[in-house]
Amino acid sequence: MRYWTISKWELKNTLQSRKFLLIFFFQLTVLVMMVFFFNGFMANIESQEGVGLTPSLNEFASLDVDDPQGIFKKNLNPEILKIGLANNDSSQSLKQGKLNGLLLVQNTSDSINYLSPLQSEILIDYSDPKRSVVRDEVILASNKTASIISQQMIDKIIPNSGNINEPQIQEQTTGESLPMQLIKKIMTAILLFLPLFLFGNLVVDSIVGEKERKTGEILIAMPISRSYIILGKSLAVIMTMAIQVALWIIIMLVAGFSLGNPLLVYLIVVISAVPIVGITTIVAAYAKNFKEAGIGITFAYIGIVGFLIVPALAYIAQQGNNISFSSMTLVIKIFSGESLRWGDIIIPMIFILIISIFSYGSAIWLFKKDEIVFGPRPGIVKLFMDFIGITTIIRKIKGF
Amino acid sequence: MIEINSLTKRFGKITALNQLNLNVKKGELLGLIGPNGAGKTTAIRIISCILHPDQGQVLVGGYDVFKNPLEIKSMIGYLPEEPNLYERFKAYDLLKYFGELYGVPKDILYPRIDELLELVGMSSRAHHKINTFSKGLRQRIGIARALIHDPEIIIFDEPTMGLDPATAITIRDFIGSMKGEKTIILCTHYMDEADSLSDRVAILNQGRILDMGTPNQLKSKIHGDLILKIDLNGPEKFLVDDFNSIKSLKGTENVFLNGKELNISLKSKEDISDIIEHLNSNIMAINTKEPNLEDVFIQKVSNLQEE
Repeated sequence: MRYWTISKWELKNTLQSRKFLLIFFFQLTVLVMMVFFFNGFMANIESQEGVGLTPSLNEFASLDVDDPQGIFKKNLNPEILKIGLANNDSSQSLKQGKLNGLLLVQNTSDSINYLSPLQSEILIDYSDPKRSVVRDEVILASNKTASIISQQMIDKIIPNSGNINEPQIQEQTTGESLPMQLIKKIMTAILLFLPLFLFGNLVVDSIVGEKERKTGEILIAMPISRSYIILGKSLAVIMTMAIQVALWIIIMLVAGFSLGNPLLVYLIVVISAVPIVGITTIVAAYAKNFKEAGIGITFAYIGIVGFLIVPALAYIAQQGNNISFSSMTLVIKIFSGESLRWGDIIIPMIFILIISIFSYGSAIWLFKKDEIVFGPRPGIVKLFMDFIGITTIIRKIKGF
Repeated sequence: MIEINSLTKRFGKITALNQLNLNVKKGELLGLIGPNGAGKTTAIRIISCILHPDQGQVLVGGYDVFKNPLEIKSMIGYLPEEPNLYERFKAYDLLKYFGELYGVPKDILYPRIDELLELVGMSSRAHHKINTFSKGLRQRIGIARALIHDPEIIIFDEPTMGLDPATAITIRDFIGSMKGEKTIILCTHYMDEADSLSDRVAILNQGRILDMGTPNQLKSKIHGDLILKIDLNGPEKFLVDDFNSIKSLKGTENVFLNGKELNISLKSKEDISDIIEHLNSNIMAINTKEPNLEDVFIQKVSNLQEE
């Protein structure tokens, strides 16, 4: 149980470190801010008005209109077009590029009375990129105006035609749209898994730091195997993550997030931390210094994030009952309140187990090598050959 | 207590230890001297089970380093060359941490920490952080750390390196006080330190033991009653012919050129005049001294280089 001594002291030192506590509480603050932002965003997206995700086109283009009856003008969209009254200077402004379009409409009352087509003329500068917006808006207004005039004509021929009931469609919805699911479930899952990627520096400091500060020598001189040194240090980091994840879950529950079964979700997230710390430990065991470890962890984490998120996205997009190996998918299924099958739990857990065994095994194998800890460090190709046993075969063939 | 047979260790293409044979008796203080890169640190790291040997046998207290590394580690207190301690720890906590790692029961550990802090003169700094300590103070804490589990064997790697003379004397006295009680291996560059403290001294170079014996036995191998030390005006003017002619003079035992310094071991003072006459104007300063361990070391290492 001496590895527990290492875990205990590592955890104690981490929690006593002011630098760590600053980062720890900074992360919590960021989470609280993210939760507020997320809640506000969701409130908007779920409202009747919806939320505008595109940039505003308010008064995007300008149009001067000569419409004596005003029937055309009132159908133009004032949110997109800055509408002005046509005057003697309008043609000049159009030429100078100060105006994007000029609309001239004939007297509409005559058209309606004599059932002749409504005549209008739009002047636009073809070199102006905004011309198409002006043209589209005018066409839209024209269609609207035509409908109104048609209705007025029908009303003249058939009085009370306006009382005829139009067919009505009533919308009844079930479930959530795909974008909503992506935002709600994936975002919530990402928020929960995020702490697992925030403590890679602890693993690095704990293992690479021993090499850089040359304290590893006295630690290895202790009556504790190198395997236990790696496992003890990793356990300390997993415990730190577990504390952070617990706090995050509490904050999210207080903020009104629906997490399904919070205890089960917590357990799955913390278990998912085991292989992530394991993979980080491989990088830390091999790295010569903090810089190398930082680069290695960045690459490793990109892979892990892909491994977690891609199956989760695929699950949401397909809406199928496929069993996924990603623990994030399992968490999303719990959020959704789906009844879980054994396969839903066992498959991700088997993956976590396999990756954990492989990652800790590799990290321990590396840390047991004198040349990795004390140098001169062999290259990755030579190490890989050692790992798969090619070097041993070559030695046997050569006879030493 | 420690038996090393045909020990070989390679780092890539470099052979750090080459068929090394060494034994240390129980209660003995063995001085291990040698130039940089001789393999001293590698040897003691293998004895301490920090490094794995490539070939050979190492037995410590009857345990094999391959089969029983944890038992061996429990028996050894190791002080590395640099007192690399955890900067964020307080002195007391550091000793407590290592005591727990050695599995020292709490009822023994706490009084032991107080006792060791007292012994190394650090009681007043017990609750100060390591990063506030000077190198000398760190070395004292390092010694206390190495002794926390009351080991049978203590290995010191350059314990006084880079320390001020007063601290070095304190640490030497401390090591000396443990003589006879503990089995000690002392790696050092300081010949006078090895001479004054060691029961036996082993001279190591290029991964092999060049010679081993008590300091007096080794010094007697110089063959002369006194050493004539001559600082040359121009060592480049000192040619092979000069070397051979001095060596052939009556009463000259050995001649070694170490930089600008020419060391000649002589049977008697009467032979000095012949040498002065021969070197004539190439002499800048001249001195005589009794043979010491440094002369033995220089002679052995120079012989190996000549070979």
